[in-house]
Amino acid sequence: MTRNNKIVLLVILVIFAFTLWVLLPVDSSRLGRDGLRLGLDLKGGVQLIYQADFSGNNTEDRQAYMDRAVLTIEKRIDQFGVTEPVVQQLGNDRIMVQLPGFTDIAAARSLVEQVGFLEFREVEKNSSGGMVYLKDYLSQDQLQYIDTAETGNRVFVTQGTDDNGDYAYKTIAFVSNIDGVITLTDGAGNPTDNVSLKTYGASESWIVTRGDDGTALTGSLLADAQPNINQTSSKPEIDIKWNTEGATIFDQIAARLHNPAGAGGTYSYQYALGIFLDDNLLSAPQLTSEKYEGRGTISGSFTLAKAEQLANLLKSGSLPMALKAPEMQEKISATLGAEFITLSWKAGLIALILVMGFMVAYYRLPGLMASMALVFYTTLTLAVCKLWPITLSLGSIGGIIVGVGIAVDANVLIFERMKEEFRAGRTLKAAIEAGFHRAWSAIWDSNMTTFIACIILYWLGSTAMHNAAVIGFAVTLFLGAVVSMFTAVLVTRTLLRALTGTGLANKTRLFTVTGGKK
Amino acid sequence: MLDIVGKRFWYFLISGVFILIAVVSLAVFGLKPSIEFSSGSIISLAFETPVEYDQFQQKMNDLGYSNAIVQRTGSGQFLVRTEVLTDAQKTQLETDLTAAFGTLSESSFNSVSPMIASETARNAGIAVAVAMVGMLLYVTYAFRKMPSPFRWGTCFVIALFHDILVTVGLFSLFGKMFGWEMNLMFITGILAIVGVSLDNTIVVFDRMRENQRMGVSPNFEAVVNRSQIETLGRSMNTSITILITCLALLLFVGGSIQNFVVVLMIGLIAGTFDSVFVAPGLLVVWDKNEWGRFIGRKKATPVKA
Repeated sequence: MTRNNKIVLLVILVIFAFTLWVLLPVDSSRLGRDGLRLGLDLKGGVQLIYQADFSGNNTEDRQAYMDRAVLTIEKRIDQFGVTEPVVQQLGNDRIMVQLPGFTDIAAARSLVEQVGFLEFREVEKNSSGGMVYLKDYLSQDQLQYIDTAETGNRVFVTQGTDDNGDYAYKTIAFVSNIDGVITLTDGAGNPTDNVSLKTYGASESWIVTRGDDGTALTGSLLADAQPNINQTSSKPEIDIKWNTEGATIFDQIAARLHNPAGAGGTYSYQYALGIFLDDNLLSAPQLTSEKYEGRGTISGSFTLAKAEQLANLLKSGSLPMALKAPEMQEKISATLGAEFITLSWKAGLIALILVMGFMVAYYRLPGLMASMALVFYTTLTLAVCKLWPITLSLGSIGGIIVGVGIAVDANVLIFERMKEEFRAGRTLKAAIEAGFHRAWSAIWDSNMTTFIACIILYWLGSTAMHNAAVIGFAVTLFLGAVVSMFTAVLVTRTLLRALTGTGLANKTRLFTVTGGKK
Repeated sequence: MLDIVGKRFWYFLISGVFILIAVVSLAVFGLKPSIEFSSGSIISLAFETPVEYDQFQQKMNDLGYSNAIVQRTGSGQFLVRTEVLTDAQKTQLETDLTAAFGTLSESSFNSVSPMIASETARNAGIAVAVAMVGMLLYVTYAFRKMPSPFRWGTCFVIALFHDILVTVGLFSLFGKMFGWEMNLMFITGILAIVGVSLDNTIVVFDRMRENQRMGVSPNFEAVVNRSQIETLGRSMNTSITILITCLALLLFVGGSIQNFVVVLMIGLIAGTFDSVFVAPGLLVVWDKNEWGRFIGRKKATPVKA
C-alpha cells in the first residue's frame, strides 16, 4: 500500500463520514437544509383552490383567460424554484394549486398570490373634462359611474409615506360593479360607509386606460421586462418592452393623454399614466411625448431585489384576472399514497443488500469492495440531492435506480477484466491495474452517452415538455453517472489497492470462484 | 467455442417476432392514457369518523376505482381524483362510501383539467428521437478509428429504438390483458430504458472495438463472436442486479410503481438480448452486405465469405 493510496483512502473515508453526517437522521437539518426535498407525489404539500374574479373585465372568452392564468401560475412558481407543482383548472372558474414540500400555508399563498396584475390607469374625467375625485363619488346619493363610457372599477389613491418615511401611494377605496350594483369598498375590498373615507375626498379616481379599440393596457401585452439601475437617480427601475399590440395601444394612449407642453410642462395627473400592480399605484409618470415606440420604464421606490422580483413576475406574465382569496387551503398527502416513501426506503435498502450479496457471492472479495463503493455511491448521491437541493420525486427515483445500475455496471466491467487478466497469469496487483485500465474506455463511453441523453432530456423537459418528472429523471441520472464514475474508479480501486499489500492478496480463492484456473 | 454470431439470423427472427407483436399490438390496442392525462372529476370528502388512508384506498379499489388518485387532507378527509363521473356515478360512489365508513359530513365535486398536458407523452417521444440523433453522432465519433464508424452509430441507435419499440408494444399488449394504463410511471420507465439500453450496447461495442484494434482476428465475424462471448458474463450480471432492484420495488412498494418496474424489466431483458445478440449481428450483416437475406429465404447458417 503506497503512501498516496493511504491519503486517497483517508479522503474517501472523510467524504463518507461527511455524507453520513449530512444524511442521518433522514429528517435532520444540516447546513441549512431540512431533510431531503420531496415532490408532491412522495410527500404532499399545500393545496390552494382559487376562485377567479372576472368582475373587473369583459367576459367574452373566460376559458382562454383561465388557460392563460393556469400557465402563468405554473411559470411563476417555476421561477421561484418550486419544482413539480400541480396547477389545474377546476370547473369553469377555479384553479387548484398544489405546492410540494410546503408545510406553511401562508408561505404558499404568498407565492401564488403575487398576482402581478400590471395595469395602466388614467384619472377619470367628468363630462366637462375635469378630473374626478373621491368626494365626487361620496357626494352621490345613488352611486353611479361618472364617466359612463368606462365600466371597469375605479381605484382611489392617496399619497402618504411608507414605513421608511419614503413617499408612497396607498390605495384607499374602490368603486366597482358587484353583481350589477355599483358599490363602494375600502382598500381591503370590504364594504364601507362614506364617513370614514371623507378625509380622503381629494383622492383621484383612476380608471382603466384603453386603446382606441377598447383593449385595456395590461401586463399581458408585455414582451419583456428587465431590472435596471437608473443612470441619473441611481435607483433601481424596470425597463419594459411592449409586444406589437401593446406598442400600438400605448402610442394611441400617449397621443390622447400626453402633455402638450412636452417634457418641460408642469406635472399634472391629467397627463399621467398610473402604473398599477395588483391595484397599488407604483408610479404615475407623465406622458411627455406622443410616441414611445414600444418601450417604457417603471420606476418607484424599489430595492434592486424587489425590482428583479417584479421583472420576473412581469416576465412570467400577469394573471389575466384577479384571484379571490382561496376558498380552500389545506395540507395534503402525497399523490402516490401516504406510505409510498417509507415503502420506497425499505425497498431501496433491501435491493441494495441483495445486490451487495450477489456481488460478494459472484466476485468474492472484490465484490465486497464494490459493495462498499456502492454504499458510498448511495450516500454521496443522496447527500448531493439534499445539499443542492434537488427535489426528489418519482422521476428522480427512476434516475437513481438506473444510476445504481450504472454504478454496479462499472464495477462489474472492472472485475470481469480483472478476472481475465488474472487467468492470463498476471499477479493480482498487475491484474487490478490492467483491469481498470482496460475497462475504462467502456465506462467512459457508456457514461458519455448517458450524459448526452440526460442533457437532451433535461433540455426538452424544461422547454417543450414542461414536465418535472422528466427533469427529475435527467438530473438524478446525470448526477448518478458522475458519482458512479467517481466511486467505481476511485473508491473501488483504492480499496483493492489497499488489499494488495496485505496477506489476503495471496489467497486467490478470495478473488475468483475458480481460484484463477480456467 | 460458442458460435453466437453465426446464428445471427435466428436472433433476428426472435427480435423480428417481438417487433411484429409490438407493432400489431400498438396498432390494434394502442395505449390507454391514464387519468393523469385526461380530464376527470375531483371529489373532496370528509367523514365524521376518522378513516385510515389504506382502508379508504382499498375500498376505492373494491368499488372499481383502482386507478383513482387519493390524497389525504386531514383526519378522515380525502381528495379523490377519478375519471369523469356522471352525477349518478358520483351519488352511487358516495352512497357506497357512506355505507362503508359512516356519514359523509361534507363533499364537493368538481370537474378538473388534466394533471399532465397531453403533449407530454408525445413530447417524450420527440425527446427520445432527439436523444437518438445525439447518440448517433456521439457513437460515430467514439468509433471514428474503426472502418465506417457511421455503421456503429446506426446499429447503436437501431438497438435503442428496438428496445423502446418492443417494450412499448408489449406493454400495450399486457395493458390490454391486465388493464394497465400509460401513466407517468410508464413514461419514467421508458426514460430509464433509454439509460440502460445505451449502457448495454456500448459495452459490447467497446469490446468489439478493442478486439478489432488488437487484431484478434482478420475476420470481422470472428472478432464480433469473441466479443459477444466475452461480454456475456458482464451483461448477465449487470442485468441481474437491476432485476433484483426491480423485484424489491415490486414486492415492497407494489401497485403504484408497478408500471415503472414492468417497463424497466421488459426493456432490460429486450435491451440485454439485443445488445449481445442482435446489434453486433447487424454490424456483421452490414459488413458482409447480407441485407438481401432478410428479404430472401432465411437460412440458419451463413454463407462463408
